Amino acid sequence: MRKSMAGMAAGILVVSLASCGDAGGSGGSGGSTDGGGKKLTVWIMEGTNPDASAYFETVTSTFKAKTGADLDVQMVPWSGAKDKFTTAIAGGTTPDVAEVGATWTPEFAEAGAIADLGDKVSAAGLDSDLVGSLKEAGTYDGRLYGMPWYAGVRSMLYNKDVFAKAGITTPPKTWAELTTAVEKIKKTQPKVTPFPVPGSSEFTATPFVWGGGGELATQSGGRWKSGLADPKAVEGITFLTDLALEHGSSTPAAATWTEKDALTAYAKGDVGMVVAGSWTPATLAQDAPEVAKKTGAFVMPGKSGMAPSAVGGSHLSVFETAKDKDLAWQFVQLMTTGDLAKKWGEESNYFSGQKSALDAQLASASDAQKVFATQMTQGGRTVPVTPQWGKVQGKKVIPTMMQSVLSSKADAKTATDQAAKDMDAAFAGN
Amino acid sequence: MGSHRMRTLRPWLLLAPTLALMAVLLAWPLGRVVWLSLQNYGLRELNRGTTNFVGFDNYVSVLTQPYLWTIVLPNTIGFAVVTVVGTVALGTLVALFLATLPVAWRYLASSAVMVAWAVPAITGTYVWVFLFDAADGLVTHALGGLGVIETGSVNWFLERWSFFGIAALNVVHHGFPFVAVTVLAGLLTVPTELYEAAVIDGAGAWRRFWSVTVPVLKPIFAVVTILSTIWDFKVFAQIFLMPGGSGTNREVFNLGVWSYIQSFAQGRYGLGAAIAVLLTLLLLGITVVYLRTLFVEEDL
Repeated sequence: MRKSMAGMAAGILVVSLASCGDAGGSGGSGGSTDGGGKKLTVWIMEGTNPDASAYFETVTSTFKAKTGADLDVQMVPWSGAKDKFTTAIAGGTTPDVAEVGATWTPEFAEAGAIADLGDKVSAAGLDSDLVGSLKEAGTYDGRLYGMPWYAGVRSMLYNKDVFAKAGITTPPKTWAELTTAVEKIKKTQPKVTPFPVPGSSEFTATPFVWGGGGELATQSGGRWKSGLADPKAVEGITFLTDLALEHGSSTPAAATWTEKDALTAYAKGDVGMVVAGSWTPATLAQDAPEVAKKTGAFVMPGKSGMAPSAVGGSHLSVFETAKDKDLAWQFVQLMTTGDLAKKWGEESNYFSGQKSALDAQLASASDAQKVFATQMTQGGRTVPVTPQWGKVQGKKVIPTMMQSVLSSKADAKTATDQAAKDMDAAFAGN
Repeated sequence: MGSHRMRTLRPWLLLAPTLALMAVLLAWPLGRVVWLSLQNYGLRELNRGTTNFVGFDNYVSVLTQPYLWTIVLPNTIGFAVVTVVGTVALGTLVALFLATLPVAWRYLASSAVMVAWAVPAITGTYVWVFLFDAADGLVTHALGGLGVIETGSVNWFLERWSFFGIAALNVVHHGFPFVAVTVLAGLLTVPTELYEAAVIDGAGAWRRFWSVTVPVLKPIFAVVTILSTIWDFKVFAQIFLMPGGSGTNREVFNLGVWSYIQSFAQGRYGLGAAIAVLLTLLLLGITVVYLRTLFVEEDL
């Protein structure tokens, strides 16, 4: 069945290549392809930008004016998007171009579903302008499969009123100061949750693994190995969970919270500080303007100074099923450079994946955005770039570890040992 | 000779459209799952359309995991037993009550009961999750107000027993209306003379239920029990959507959730398919046992 479909696809490819040849094939990567009468299908993830439909109307008309080709932009909700991609890969019905979550790119590249964009990117002279962490995340086996589109990073948001009442004048910079801040809030405002530790959030835990000098995983000789059971990582997890369990920074409910639940709690106004993404102040301003007004941001505290935090984001990838890859690349280029990229940054509150655009964005950024920008440029890290990381996330290794400590079923040492075993099993393909 | 062959062929000809439809809708996917379960099949194989047969490795790997025997299977079976008994018992009680009502009230009350059935499983699950929310739920506030616990100090989703307690409430609440309505329909067909005769013989309500209602309604009880068993064995959304149920709390996986997490969250479709096949075999076994007991007694 699959074989015959592959055969059919190959047949279609030959036919379309042949017809391309007849037309004279002007498709150089720098110049514009004649896309008249053609149609490009694009999947964009939903939930990132409230004004996305209006934005994509502009994109569609610009693209039509530039190439003559039609765009069919389909919005796909983030939740369930991975399943949708998988099903489409199985059925050979993937779109021409899609927004791909940065941690999925190596997985799709390994499966052979997305195309190598490296040559097109260097031909267009965009190589040196890509934001480093996103470029790294989009690279598999030395080749670039995901064109950096936008990025986000997590830092801390805090309630200025709560901090003022507790007598905290400067936001905590280190773990020791964080503990003091929690204790001060606890003492002065018993009804406030100083710092909820959500058990189902991977990215709340990672800055604490890194903040003490630990690693999620390291690569040597082509093999990945978990670093969660190493003393420095254990120290970070112990510190974070002790904050919740010993210093009462959290609430029992938070043991099953996701990052979103923690932000929802923060938006109610009786939470001191919370780990949150760089795109959340905008959400907060919409949903809870009163709390947003008294919200400030500070970079992740580490054992001594700023802790690294995970940079997440999206790539635009061209699928191998795309009939006209040059046209697809033109769309990617249109979206990630120039005016449309700038507009997207302004509207979505994400950081641009291009250095030049990012600099322009930061020139007019708010105070909170500047804090997040510092975190991203000086303390941004990627999670291990390997197709297997998708399996580690699928297995929920880090949330499982956090939840077992926060529910007092295991101590930090036992939980990190187990997590390291689970992670190594995922790396080994089990 | 020819007419004899025609006679044996005719039923099959008449059945052919149905069989063809079932082959497409049931047999093909089922065969495909079995075919997948014999392979080490990931995203790479999915994309390239290649096969990677490993024999019974997936089954061996599933069946030799202590995790299956200590967590997943007890969760699946224990939960099904509790919820099937709960659903059938509650449904029957409600049916008995409805049968005593005047017709107009009976319609009104059974419509009200049906609402719980009409609510989609996802919506129903979120309602129960909200009720038991550790920080702001109705239950924590009620118990806090009564002084039983300190409001917000207990997270019921973390412990296996309380997690499944909430899930059982959800599933029983969602499943009992079907049993109630079906049993009620059966109750209305029981000839009233049987009850009158039993009353004359001096039988109380308890005795009348077990000696008249139960024997007469046996096929109906068999049907609702089999259907409930199948539904409650393969419950998925009601577990997966609860906090911790989607993967962070490995103490609460059942066969359905485990299969989903192996297949879709970790891209190990072969292993997930093997778990699904085992779940199907388990359900088939249970159904065969049920049907046999039912038909053997009918024959006597």
